[in-house]
Amino acid sequence: MSGVLALYEKEIRHYFRSPIAYYVVAVFLIGTGYFYTYNVFLSNTATMDATFQNMGILLTVVAPAISMRLFAGEWSGRTMELLATLPLRPWEVVFGKFLGAVTMLLLMTAGTMINLIPMYLFAEPETTTIISGYIGFILMGMACLALGQFFSVLTQNQIVAALITVAVLLAFWFVGNLQNFQTSYLLWNLTGYLSFSAHFAEFIQGLVSSKGVMFYLVICGIALTLNAGYLQWRR
Amino acid sequence: MIVLDSVSKRYGAKTIIHDVSFTVNKDEIVGFLGPNGAGKTTTLRMIAGFTTATSGTVEVAGYDMATENYEAARHIGYLPEIPPLYDTLDVSSYLRFVAKAKGIPRNEIDGELERVTAACRLEAVYRREVFKLSKGYRQRTGLAQALLGKPDVLLLDEPTIGLDPGQILETREVIRSFGSSHTVLLSTHILPEVTLICQRVAIINNGRLLAIDTPRGLQDAVEKTNIVSLQTKAPEAPLREELLSVEGVEALDIAPVRGTEDGLLAVTCTVDPRDGVESAIARAVAKRWDLYRLERQEPTLENIFLHYVQGQKVQAAA
Repeated sequence: MSGVLALYEKEIRHYFRSPIAYYVVAVFLIGTGYFYTYNVFLSNTATMDATFQNMGILLTVVAPAISMRLFAGEWSGRTMELLATLPLRPWEVVFGKFLGAVTMLLLMTAGTMINLIPMYLFAEPETTTIISGYIGFILMGMACLALGQFFSVLTQNQIVAALITVAVLLAFWFVGNLQNFQTSYLLWNLTGYLSFSAHFAEFIQGLVSSKGVMFYLVICGIALTLNAGYLQWRR
Repeated sequence: MIVLDSVSKRYGAKTIIHDVSFTVNKDEIVGFLGPNGAGKTTTLRMIAGFTTATSGTVEVAGYDMATENYEAARHIGYLPEIPPLYDTLDVSSYLRFVAKAKGIPRNEIDGELERVTAACRLEAVYRREVFKLSKGYRQRTGLAQALLGKPDVLLLDEPTIGLDPGQILETREVIRSFGSSHTVLLSTHILPEVTLICQRVAIINNGRLLAIDTPRGLQDAVEKTNIVSLQTKAPEAPLREELLSVEGVEALDIAPVRGTEDGLLAVTCTVDPRDGVESAIARAVAKRWDLYRLERQEPTLENIFLHYVQGQKVQAAA
């Protein structure tokens, strides 16, 4: 576990010394602020529903910007040779990096909570729905980062890693829209089950179901396992 | 400490390392010598555990690197060809990260950082970000991370590349003092480096191990050079006639010694490789003229290296 902690600390240090991280967080917070202002003040409704929906789409672009460097940067910077020859098991490397990225996600998410202040000052929003929305957002963010981290290990070009991740995340977001075209019950079910937006919509509505939680955790588990397996295989 | 047994490495259809076997003992410094692309880096990477051998076994500190590389990594310090540094970190954060990843107990980390910083003369840049470092300091920071935790086995891929002459001497001293109580395998194509710091030299080319021995042993294994040079004061034509009459002398080159006007001649004789030709030449010259100097050139490491590398080319052509 000390290996995970060492790598986690290194990742956090890297984020706070990298201008890209500040830029990505700033873009996300400005974007969220814009959607919040539009959804709450212009429509005069004290709910976070529409804002969460927009944050979800924004995440499909922001998460790859965080995850693209995780391994592609190690390959291109020739530091993978160090990580692979230190007494660190592949899963420790993968998990340490993932925890670092999730910490960035949590900090970004915490930044959006400033939006709640005027809402609670001038209206009476439903706290449980907001909490469930945030839980859904964090779980979906974790799944996005895990997928992004996996695609990052496959290439040493960060741009390629980001582009593949954006494409895959958008596919997961919109795959639910294909549901209406499916004549087979299996495909109808599958497209619905794989949809990030469908599961997230349940959280936004205040429904924290084990099915939704497990879906995102299983995606994380599969992506991180593939990630560690790939590192082992590359030897 | 390091045992390679019939190790081969293939990438697709291309074989990079062919059936290499050698052993590096405890407390020994071995130099890995070969031209660019000879397979030095690939071999070091297999020993360090970055990649695995396609066939054969690599054992470090008693651990099989194919299956127990995690356990072995605790005993290995490795400096790759390009120092693996994180540009956004400063030197102290970088070394602290490596120390923690190596599992050095927290209460010993500060002492270890102090030790390697002093050994690699990094005090002046200890708080500086890595991206601001000169090439020499980057190399020394890479060496410092390899030395962390006093590993039993130190693997260094071109450790003095990019350093200025003063830094090269300091780095060699660090390696030599570390190697007195640890196993060191270093790759280089700087020939004098191996004679200065290594107890044994392994010569590799085209992925094949051509020889491994002490520098003296390699010199002895190679036939003496076929050049005898001498200086004498003699008329040129009789001297030529006399020398060519000596058995074993095949060709001659005679020229006046530059900077002298008293008839001193420098003679370079090409002789056959037998021992004793130089004595016959000395007797032949000394009985008629004054002999000022005579030597049969010893094979240098360059000669030895070329002997093996070119010998391999001849074999390949045959």
